[in-house]
Amino acid sequence: MRPKIMLAMTGIAALLLARNLYVILQVLPDEEHQNAAYRIMFFHVPDAWTAFLCFLAGMIASVLYLAKNDLRYDGFAASITEVGLAFGAANLVTGMIWGRVIWGVWWAWDVRLTTMLVGCLIYAGYLMLRRAVEEPGERAKMSAVVSIFAFADVPIIFFSIRWWQHQQHPEPAKLPPEWWAALFMNWIPLLLLAGVLLMLRMEQERIQRQVDGLRRTIHAF
Amino acid sequence: MAVPALRGSVSFLRQSFTIASKDLRAELRTKEALNASVAFALVILLLFSFAFEPTEVETRQISGGLLWLVFAFAGALILNRSFARELANDCLDALVAAPISGAALFLGKAVANLALLVAVELVCLPVFGVFYNVPWTLQFWPLMLVVLLGTWGLTVVGTMFSALTVNLRLRELMLPMLVYPIMVPGLLAAVQLTTPLVMGQPLAADLMPWLRLLVAFDVIFTALALALVETVLVR
Amino acid sequence: MDTRNFTFLCYGLVAAWLILCAYVVTLAARERKLQRELERLRLLVEEKEHTG
Repeated sequence: MRPKIMLAMTGIAALLLARNLYVILQVLPDEEHQNAAYRIMFFHVPDAWTAFLCFLAGMIASVLYLAKNDLRYDGFAASITEVGLAFGAANLVTGMIWGRVIWGVWWAWDVRLTTMLVGCLIYAGYLMLRRAVEEPGERAKMSAVVSIFAFADVPIIFFSIRWWQHQQHPEPAKLPPEWWAALFMNWIPLLLLAGVLLMLRMEQERIQRQVDGLRRTIHAF
Repeated sequence: MAVPALRGSVSFLRQSFTIASKDLRAELRTKEALNASVAFALVILLLFSFAFEPTEVETRQISGGLLWLVFAFAGALILNRSFARELANDCLDALVAAPISGAALFLGKAVANLALLVAVELVCLPVFGVFYNVPWTLQFWPLMLVVLLGTWGLTVVGTMFSALTVNLRLRELMLPMLVYPIMVPGLLAAVQLTTPLVMGQPLAADLMPWLRLLVAFDVIFTALALALVETVLVR
Repeated sequence: MDTRNFTFLCYGLVAAWLILCAYVVTLAARERKLQRELERLRLLVEEKEHTG
């Protein structure tokens, strides 16, 4: 049942992406200053939205784990944080390439990119911490705490860097309405893909729990 | 009805105070972490001077960043030891099993760390003034306030993650790796406040947003740490 | 369309998808490793049940 769902989601995502690519490349006109390159935004921005949604879900799952002590919440939190990190990395790379085109530099300490970078560093630390702890209950507790600290920090990081820096990211308010539609239309396939990756990763978490259980049985002999 | 609550909070504070004085007494007996931290801080100050060769004017402009980098690196040594010190002879298990709340244990350790870190910083500041030829006492009391607030933020996050990573093999690596990114807003605010204060500008209206950010950072993470430390300590 | 900017656009899109593909590859590799570990442990448990 589940593989069929995943296949269906991937299929829909692929179709939507193909349609969007056509719209983005053919239908929308060139922007005055950036010509073709601005179209990268249609992947760059939804990548960020997806990543933050994943991190938020990870924090909620962490809180639920601490409340209910069910390792499945921990599995969900770890999986969705990892998927979020992948989309965050994609956001950073597209941001750097876009920045190279419009600002001439690979990195400009822009608010959103810098916040994403710090966020990705924190969540990379989260994943490293998980790898360093053997016992599943301990690992779950520690990860939950880090996830809560991390997500609580994200808005603070954003505001602090915004006060600090001088360069302007193109303000979203000035975007024409057709662009917003295209942004959201492109967000849907990315969310579907995130869902598929999440399901793949959670299946692995389930197998990992089986492995942990078997290890405990063997040690009990 | 207020009296039991008051009594409860008084005993909480007394427990924290006991832990804090125990930690401070233990550290002052050997002064291991203090000495290592001060020495490390002085070496970093020296290295920065070789690495960047800043003029006096340049130094004043980067003073905030320079000082807080030194404080953050040297502080990691003290923060690491905070819970690691209790590992020998199962002291940590004894502390957790003792009839004090995890929050009181955490607060006591955090206050002790704050005292130690501020001591290190108070040694660093005159040395910085001498090495780089920068008069830093022009706004002494506002600077002390910023040092205190910034160090409290660093201490709270650092002590929390010290408790978290105490049993890990790679503790010395994981602690900085987790603490520094989370500290970005706090350190940023501290740096943005310290540089003007060292240059002699008063704590005026244009610096207020940074002060408010620093206070908010401290409050939020103190609350989070007090709430979550119990789950981390109990095994 | 300006050719130079179009090139950058291609680089950007390819880079973004490469990262996601790399992630899928690591997921697949981890899945294989986990399955092997699971099989190994299952065999171990069966052995112990027969001898014990």
